[in-house]
Amino acid sequence: MTDLEIRSAARAAMLDRLRGLLVVHLQLGRDPDELDPDAPLFGSGLGLDSLDAVELVVCLESEFGVRIEDPVALRHSFRSLNKMIDLISATRGAP
Amino acid sequence: MTARLDHEVRALRTATTLAAGDHIACVRVRGSGATDAIDRVSPRPAFARAGKMTHTLVLDDDARPIADLYACCDEDDWFLLAEGMPAPALIEHVRARAAGLDVALDDLSPSHAMVTLNGPYAWELLGELTTPDVIGLPYLGFFHADGFTCFRGGKTGEYGYDLLVERDRLGALRDQILTVGRRFELAEISLAALEIAQLENLVWNPRRESAPDLTPIELQLQWRIRYDREYPGAAALHRRRRVAERRAVLLCADRELADGARVVADGRDIGGVLHAGRSPTRGDWLAIAIVERALAHAGLAGFEVGDAVARTLSAPSIDNRSLLVDPQRHAFATRDTDGFPPLVRP
Repeated sequence: MTDLEIRSAARAAMLDRLRGLLVVHLQLGRDPDELDPDAPLFGSGLGLDSLDAVELVVCLESEFGVRIEDPVALRHSFRSLNKMIDLISATRGAP
Repeated sequence: MTARLDHEVRALRTATTLAAGDHIACVRVRGSGATDAIDRVSPRPAFARAGKMTHTLVLDDDARPIADLYACCDEDDWFLLAEGMPAPALIEHVRARAAGLDVALDDLSPSHAMVTLNGPYAWELLGELTTPDVIGLPYLGFFHADGFTCFRGGKTGEYGYDLLVERDRLGALRDQILTVGRRFELAEISLAALEIAQLENLVWNPRRESAPDLTPIELQLQWRIRYDREYPGAAALHRRRRVAERRAVLLCADRELADGARVVADGRDIGGVLHAGRSPTRGDWLAIAIVERALAHAGLAGFEVGDAVARTLSAPSIDNRSLLVDPQRHAFATRDTDGFPPLVRP
């Protein structure tokens, strides 16, 4: 595998893990592959609400050891699955 | 031209803007079968609650998205606000699938016009124009004001309101907006500026990001469909779901990216650019590209697009000010001292 393929596979693995967690913890009633990585999570997108946001905060801490203290960073990082992966990656290192 | 566009997008990202809504088709759906007719064409359930809007799509039988659609429930009737499809075509699309239903469809464009307000302080301008109560209008809600109907949607990542007004009252409404808007550094902007803002936020643009072989699966629009419903294109979507091998990604580069350019990775052609443009907010070039699914992930560098070296980004590509502007705590007058972070992270 090339370096690009390795890095892409790491992102894909993280995406799959997050999708699975969201479907189970937030009871989305959708298959994981329906959660597109750049789709909006709140508002018109997957329709998550403030209670789901609390659940996501807890989930990120328990599953990834990521604790978010800054409310501004929190709002921006919860806009899409890709943004959440960026946050997890920045906190823990690659991918 | 570039300076003008930069000014328009900057106003949209930091203040308030007014644009013509000629690109939005508006159809009124009436009759006892109106709700059922909407249900037959919408790939996701439409909220049949007065004053609520549903952001959905119009698909053809091959599951190609042909219009971006707001379905808006107005008591027993509906408004359909569509981009990418003229009103007569939308009427025909619904009528063809409304057999046996009591439905009347009217194109409102001869009698009505649309204007659109966008920006992190659009709510405040609108509040002065109508009533401060507008601050409480939820996203994807609408109400009838004195002389117009106000729909809160927005496809730019900022507060956005589409105002539907009778044509003979359009001039007066525009004058009123421009007068009140002076206090909010209102800029009149073009459709091109709206489209750049959509690109920065990776909001699907039916005029620029449509192709015969692309479905909501490739375009990352699955949140606007359900697989457990019947609608035009549903069968095609089920088939495509099993074999989809490509997906949209957002690319950025310091050099020009062009529509139709090929995307190369590790010396191999992996896809093509659907829509590209320069981002005044970021100061670089952005593109939506359809690439092989295995490499369709954000946060990756090393793509070649023409002469440019590109990398993939998570959407949205900017940190929209509207996400942080709280009408209960903030105001246009205090924007410089409210301590907002930059629109683009270093």
